[in-house]
Amino acid sequence: MLDIQVSDQGTIRLVGRFDASQADMAQTTFRAIRQSAVADFAQLDYISSAGIAIIVETYKRLTDAGHSFKLINLNPRIRTVFGYAGLDKVMQID
Amino acid sequence: MMEGRFKRDIASLDAIFDFVAEFLAQQEIPPDNSFYANLVIEELFTNMVKYSKDGIQDIAIRLDRDGQRLVISLMDFNVEAFDITQSREVDVDRPMSERKAGGLGIHFVKQVADSVHYEYKDRNSTITVTKRIES
Repeated sequence: MLDIQVSDQGTIRLVGRFDASQADMAQTTFRAIRQSAVADFAQLDYISSAGIAIIVETYKRLTDAGHSFKLINLNPRIRTVFGYAGLDKVMQID
Repeated sequence: MMEGRFKRDIASLDAIFDFVAEFLAQQEIPPDNSFYANLVIEELFTNMVKYSKDGIQDIAIRLDRDGQRLVISLMDFNVEAFDITQSREVDVDRPMSERKAGGLGIHFVKQVADSVHYEYKDRNSTITVTKRIES
């Protein structure tokens, strides 16, 4: 299960497991974000390519529009998966 | 060894993750190993669901232990061949402007796995992945 909490300040808190079965729901939520945002991964246990595709799509859409999109608090395994794709070099990850 | 059959539907993932957790517990393998096992299985399973359009049968997942290695096999029955070991390599050095969202699943499997083997026989596809168990 994945829970996504979006605050008025532009923080997106991800909780649970971001897998392909959650992608449609997550895509709807992420596409509604139209300002600079921070995605907080502190309570995210797992992500697959389906979740990363939505993160990449959001990153490109927001930065192309002149906004920022930052990822924070990734656990070591999730950070490794971003590294497998070389995304740690082209995205803002703290 | 544990084998399960799962409906070719993305919604099967929850049951698949439960199946993996059950196997790890049964083998007394640290539960942290579920992250990469789940990643490999999800990417292979969703690939079969999306691209084996002629497949109608459930997909079989077999989990086994060979010493300090986890052996993961997925079997897709009565489908066209799709050898993931021959898939094109992903260029991970591309700038963001040249990237598209998606297309990373098989790349992740190859990165995580210690070995990937594909067999196609009698219209059945079998992908076997090994992964060292982390203590």
